[in-house]
Amino acid sequence: MLPDRFQTERTILKPLEVDDVEELQSYLNAPGMIGCRCLPWEIRDVAPLSRARVEEALAAWAKEKKGFALGIALRETGELIGHATCDWHWDPHAPGIAVAVSPLRRRRGIGSEVARHLVSYLFENTAAHNVSGWISSWNEAGLAFAAALGFRESGRIPRSEIRDGSYHEGVLVDLLKPEWRKLERERHGA
Amino acid sequence: MALEGRLVILREERKEDQKLFARLRNDLETQSWNVALPPDYTEEMHLKRFEAMEFSYERESARLSVERKETGELAGFITYSNLEERLGATIGIAIAKPFWGTGVALDAQEVLLRFLFLELGLRVVHLWSHSGNPRALKLAEKSGFSVVGRIREGMYKNGRLLDTIVMSILREAYFELHSELEDTLPPLFLD
Repeated sequence: MLPDRFQTERTILKPLEVDDVEELQSYLNAPGMIGCRCLPWEIRDVAPLSRARVEEALAAWAKEKKGFALGIALRETGELIGHATCDWHWDPHAPGIAVAVSPLRRRRGIGSEVARHLVSYLFENTAAHNVSGWISSWNEAGLAFAAALGFRESGRIPRSEIRDGSYHEGVLVDLLKPEWRKLERERHGA
Repeated sequence: MALEGRLVILREERKEDQKLFARLRNDLETQSWNVALPPDYTEEMHLKRFEAMEFSYERESARLSVERKETGELAGFITYSNLEERLGATIGIAIAKPFWGTGVALDAQEVLLRFLFLELGLRVVHLWSHSGNPRALKLAEKSGFSVVGRIREGMYKNGRLLDTIVMSILREAYFELHSELEDTLPPLFLD
């Protein structure tokens, strides 16, 4: 039984296993996923992924010592619809998070539910003071998603990516613990 | 073309450099990142890392020793990492205190930027620092970097909460500052 802290209203955040490769490959290669798949750093997010590449991603996540990657499965059906990562490679004081959800399952608030849960996890169970994220500037839905969660834009790194005939920025977003506390109080009507 | 500036030469790392590199790693003023603490790195550890390096054409990073031309003294090192070929990279520098304020750091940074833009054909170069290191921020500004990101209170160092600062310089900005150089690489996009 997984501890409750890795469950949300509609999802279970579960360890990714070798058996998940097919489902993982299926949503990672879905239209609209390239460029926002939250892959390990060593795997370029530029083309459809072969089974072998997905296995490499799984292996890289499994080796992660300063962070974790979890599959997002629907509680109702067990279907794997995405994954989320947290890492504190540089400093547990300022970890980063990333959430990838299949395009077929977006716009239902599931990504927000998971992201909010992970941010709470980091602020309540680790030494995190600032949680940050990185989103490509072409990904307007991703930027709106981060803003709705309370993240603030903290920078735009020029020419982070080439896509569709132009450069794109890497948009840094962050959320401080006191800001998160205030948002949580407001959300719960306190 | 040697990687040579007005004051310095950037050359390959050598075995005998490791003593200074260990010292730089253990000095809380030259080692910016808490991740490298505690300051107990030894010359032997550095030698092991040095000896483990293997020949490869697939390079995503480099560490070059900064040598003062006039005296042949080792002043520190300069790096690039996270290389996205023909697009961008991130640089870093550590210079021993006796060379602070001598122009060595700026010259080394300029030599590396020339290499990155003219040889590797990069379109942008980045660096990461923090608000508690005004010397590094000023050095970057002198070469044309500007602040593009600030992660608020992203670091805790020397008893203070500090902002993590990201700075970048575009290829066009570099060539504008260096009118003696001609950029013959066509722009990728007309932006």
